[in-house]
Amino acid sequence: MTGSRSKSIVIWAFVVTALLMLSAPTIVVLGASFTAGNIITFPPEGLSLKWYGAIAQASDLRQAFFRSLIVATICTLISIPVGTLAGIALSKYRVRFARTIQIYLLLPFTIPLIGSGIGMMLVFGEMGALGKLWPVGIATCVINLPFMIWAVTASASNLSPDLELAAANCGAPPLQRFLYITLPAVLPGIITGSLLMFILALNEFLVSLLLVDARSVTLPVQIYNSIRSIITPDLAAISVVFIACAGVAIALLDRLVGLDIFLKSK
Amino acid sequence: MMPNEKILSAQIRRRTLLGSMAAVGASAGLSTLGVSKAFAQEPEKPSEIIVRAWGGSWVDSLKAGVSDSFTKMTGIAVRHDLTEDNEIQPKIWAAVAQKRTPPIHINWDTTTNATKSALRGVTEDLSDLPNLKNTTDLAKPVGLDGYPIVNTYGYVYVLAYRPSAFPNGAPKSWKDLLDPKLKGRIALYNDGIGFHFPAQVAGGGKLEDIPANMQPAWDFIAKIKEQQPLLGEDPDFTTWFQKGEIDAACTISTNAREARKNGIELAWVVPEEGAKFDTDGLWIPKGLPENELYWAKQYINHALTKEAQQVWLDGLGLPGVVPGLTPPADLVGDPSYPTTEEDFKHLIRISSKVQVENESQWFAKFKEIMQG
Amino acid sequence: MRHSRVAYPLTWRVMDVFERLAAAVWPSSFQRGLPYLMLLPAVVLVGLLVLGLIQIGDSSLRTLDTSTFMMSENYTLANYQRALSEKFFATVAGRSLMGAVIVTVITLIFAFPYAYLMVRTPSSALRKFLLVALFLPFFIGQVVRAYGWLIILGNQGMVNEALGLVGVPPMRLLYNYPAVLFGLVQYMLPFAVLMLAPALTAIPAELESAASSLGAGWVRTFRHIVLPLARPGLVGAGLVVVTLSLTDFAIPAILGGGSQDFIANAIYDQFFRTSDQGLGATLSLLLVAVGSILVGVVFMLFGAGTLAMGDERK
Repeated sequence: MTGSRSKSIVIWAFVVTALLMLSAPTIVVLGASFTAGNIITFPPEGLSLKWYGAIAQASDLRQAFFRSLIVATICTLISIPVGTLAGIALSKYRVRFARTIQIYLLLPFTIPLIGSGIGMMLVFGEMGALGKLWPVGIATCVINLPFMIWAVTASASNLSPDLELAAANCGAPPLQRFLYITLPAVLPGIITGSLLMFILALNEFLVSLLLVDARSVTLPVQIYNSIRSIITPDLAAISVVFIACAGVAIALLDRLVGLDIFLKSK
Repeated sequence: MMPNEKILSAQIRRRTLLGSMAAVGASAGLSTLGVSKAFAQEPEKPSEIIVRAWGGSWVDSLKAGVSDSFTKMTGIAVRHDLTEDNEIQPKIWAAVAQKRTPPIHINWDTTTNATKSALRGVTEDLSDLPNLKNTTDLAKPVGLDGYPIVNTYGYVYVLAYRPSAFPNGAPKSWKDLLDPKLKGRIALYNDGIGFHFPAQVAGGGKLEDIPANMQPAWDFIAKIKEQQPLLGEDPDFTTWFQKGEIDAACTISTNAREARKNGIELAWVVPEEGAKFDTDGLWIPKGLPENELYWAKQYINHALTKEAQQVWLDGLGLPGVVPGLTPPADLVGDPSYPTTEEDFKHLIRISSKVQVENESQWFAKFKEIMQG
Repeated sequence: MRHSRVAYPLTWRVMDVFERLAAAVWPSSFQRGLPYLMLLPAVVLVGLLVLGLIQIGDSSLRTLDTSTFMMSENYTLANYQRALSEKFFATVAGRSLMGAVIVTVITLIFAFPYAYLMVRTPSSALRKFLLVALFLPFFIGQVVRAYGWLIILGNQGMVNEALGLVGVPPMRLLYNYPAVLFGLVQYMLPFAVLMLAPALTAIPAELESAASSLGAGWVRTFRHIVLPLARPGLVGAGLVVVTLSLTDFAIPAILGGGSQDFIANAIYDQFFRTSDQGLGATLSLLLVAVGSILVGVVFMLFGAGTLAMGDERK
């Protein structure tokens, strides 16, 4: 980073505050999962793994976790082509009624989640699809789709029309231009967008609540529903395991495609 | 208070009457067996049935008292769906409206919510359950024909408090919540449920004016608002007591007892103005296949046996609907576990029908005061 | 993807086949329709919500009969009348709107330096750390997260204990309007950063060094170069944050102590507590209308951000 000392100080001040805001409750809860006591406290009362032992026994939690993984995978797989195409269309081409279309495509954010949930419960119910996992995957994709579209359009300033024209002049047909020029340009957006889609779907609860039943319940819904009186450290332990799994997934992704490249400024 | 007193005393009389009948030996397990034999052929057993329940100690008690013994008896597994009662309701209503199989077999529900479903016509009739004959009047839903739902126990919205915050002894009246010391230290349910009726008394009004004139209740609630109460749900109350955020709350005794069991310093009273008494029940949504409906009914029938009630309600610390149950040791003589006519005199019971017809207005009024 | 640029003729041949296929399916004379075709899947997916909205629109025109708990057969505007005339709904709507605007401003102020550092730092480890820190909070769930805040900011929490050491009496930091706004900022920060980051990667660092070598201080460079170039990202992030905070339900419920409801909480109450789907549907539709108008106003004031590109290029 170039620039003066005062610039670093100002930026770091904001970043450290933001980091504190983001992580403080998480660290407290995660730390509390190693408590030997019966309630979530920080610092934990003594160290033990007993709450991890407790959740290791719960097969229903494991099943719910795998269901959440399936839902998140469906959501991400759908959102990548759909969001990328829409994002490129909006940023690269001149579209009539572009603003109206954008307001329409922002409906998932302007409709309150409860309304979306109730609406989709009725729609999928009419189709007789409730109780399966794919409607939940589609629903989580729909309610978060603007993230994918906007992540792609936000990186579309990388798109250089000149480059494409040059390629066309050299005789590159449209599909090749799309694959070798347009797509790589918006790849940073696709990567951050799909990461976000995956993690949001993995943790989605309000809309899922209306779409799952006891046999297809996902992990966040299961956790929310199990809280009735005392909030016990096993919930913290579940979160730690959840984070660890997601961490492994992100690390793998990083190994495969190198997250770093896409986020670094050119 | 008159109409309620009548209901209650009638109920108590019947209670004592049935107590002696039960002693003759209509043992619960036996009667269930009798039922199954009565049908020449049992309908095909589903591999499992789904019962909606509240999480935590609520589902643990149901499992120990009813579900496990049902599985042992019939071989049918019981899966518990822990969706909140409020949140499962639109799911069931939509399923019935769209003629789909409902997501659960049995709903463990508040009588108020269950009454809404019954009025809407989405519940199966349960009048033919054999074990109903052994129950007290409490099992019968008030203001509905037959048994679209069966009440399974009663509970009280007590005034729970932290004894160390009341050095001069337990609070005696709901008005004690107006003590300036308690500013920002009290909690009520989000929608004020459980608090409207005692507030009517504390505000100088009469219970028979419900629902026509509830101004005294609103006046009292407006005074409570000045105390900046926290509003929440059961888990919030427990957390807030545990973390020292509040010193008093209007809550269901079961949650207070559960918190105390977990080492939180807590006691409770029924103040002089009285406390709301209500019931929870079980019901079956329409739209199940015949055989599953049959076994769902068997489950509810089993929940009405003395053995099942004893274990289930020991866990909840609540009085059941079959005579001759033994109260848990820690609740003998406790006002939240009413057994005698004298106990019931301090409790306020309003028919579910009046409640469901007016509840949305009461909630709206309460919200308007609290959100202002 | 990159290595295929130096690929074998075989892949070239495969590509040719695909090109011909694409040309057959979509001849170049259809070129003008291409962007619409690309938008189609997204429009269809969001159409699922529209189907739901139609159902909701239908219920919004029916009132609840509390003697049967059925919706009325005939249509009426009674719900709309109630929603627009009762003071309670106005209070809640005002609170949500003001909250959404405040939260958006604060979130952008914090998200910008965060995203900037994340894309500009030469250290790959720091970049990944900043990225992972964004995602962590999602995993502990709302209820447990609220509990975490209680441990930190509660009456007997860590912050009040620390204040007690310097003689400040415990004060209530949670369960009020500022607490809700704080919670929303924290919740929205990751979204804003992730919307901003791709836009910032597109701003060449050389541009900044050029400006500073010409004698511009970093504040001026920021104001005149980075911020204008980042406008698409800022508008996008702002829209996401403003719409999501306007319709949020969980944060006001858990950090508001029950007395700081937003519109979505009032909608929840109608759907789930009083079973009045008609009024709940009405409030939902009004909220969608307000949100969409807000989005339209942002487009008018700031342009459609990145998305205006197509327009500018003609």
